[in-house]
Amino acid sequence: MSERIPTYPGTPLKERDFADGRVLHTWWVPKADYAWDAGVAIGKFLAGLKEGRILGITCPQCHRVLVPPRMVCEHCFVPTSRWVELPGTGRVKTFSICTVRWDMERLEVPIIPAVIALDGAEAPTGGGGGFMHLLGEVEPTPEAVRIGMRVEPVWRPAAERTAAITDILYFRPIKVSINST
Amino acid sequence: MGLTERLRRLDEVIAWKGEIPLQNRYTMGLAGERFFREIKDNARLMATHCPNCDYTYLPPRTYCERCFAELTEWVEVPPRGTVYAYTVVHLDLDEQPLEKSRLVALIEIEGCDSLFVHCLDEVEAEEVYIGMPVEAVFQKERQGAITDIAYFRPL
Repeated sequence: MSERIPTYPGTPLKERDFADGRVLHTWWVPKADYAWDAGVAIGKFLAGLKEGRILGITCPQCHRVLVPPRMVCEHCFVPTSRWVELPGTGRVKTFSICTVRWDMERLEVPIIPAVIALDGAEAPTGGGGGFMHLLGEVEPTPEAVRIGMRVEPVWRPAAERTAAITDILYFRPIKVSINST
Repeated sequence: MGLTERLRRLDEVIAWKGEIPLQNRYTMGLAGERFFREIKDNARLMATHCPNCDYTYLPPRTYCERCFAELTEWVEVPPRGTVYAYTVVHLDLDEQPLEKSRLVALIEIEGCDSLFVHCLDEVEAEEVYIGMPVEAVFQKERQGAITDIAYFRPL
């Protein structure tokens, strides 16, 4: 708005106008059910999670192992081939300490989403992607969580798994005994 | 392997199901507000007229679709007209078969130039013909919606 145009043209409506019946209107709740097909690669990956296995697939050109798997390497535009099962262990590439949930709900205990470089899924060049999941069994403070920290998956009990990414509850730091270091 | 790979195990065929919560409130606009208010309160049809094009709109518009002039001239039109075209509908909006087929018609309302879409009833599909005179049947309880006209029936 400006000096020349003090108010925008139009017919502004307030919630009150509807409540008081000043504005005729219709109310409609569209039914918007959907089903998202996981596809070949993710379907196989999720079925693997149910069995407690983390499956990746290899790009024949850049030799990266893609987890979660894709049918095509997005770097080389080449169809991926050769499935591999990964041990599940890895190291934290990057992380964030979140005090709000995805829907803006305030969290009492912060969650720690992290990108994890899974063992066996690193490109020979050292690049490659990462696997996004949560960290647990670690204090949600910048002091406690470290980049490079070794982690391992904590699985949901086999009977409760639903072939979903939440079949892995979270990744926790691998406790290293003093003797073995 | 690769792009020719197919899932061979049924448990690998996975779909995520969900529901997007949507709500929609539709307001009729300036012309629509007056149009439906007249239907609700007085069971009469109000149209707008463009003096420049000599064209009468029902449902009414606030602007002429031909010359873009603002339309301020309101005229009452009778709730009757003639069938311009019609179709027999056998499926509902979800493409499910209807128990009883419905008649939908384009109606030339007397004194109007634009065509009005509504349902026909109290008539069998075989009896309908183009040019058939029809009249609107209003609901007794009206909310201010297009369904306040229950249907059109032969005059």
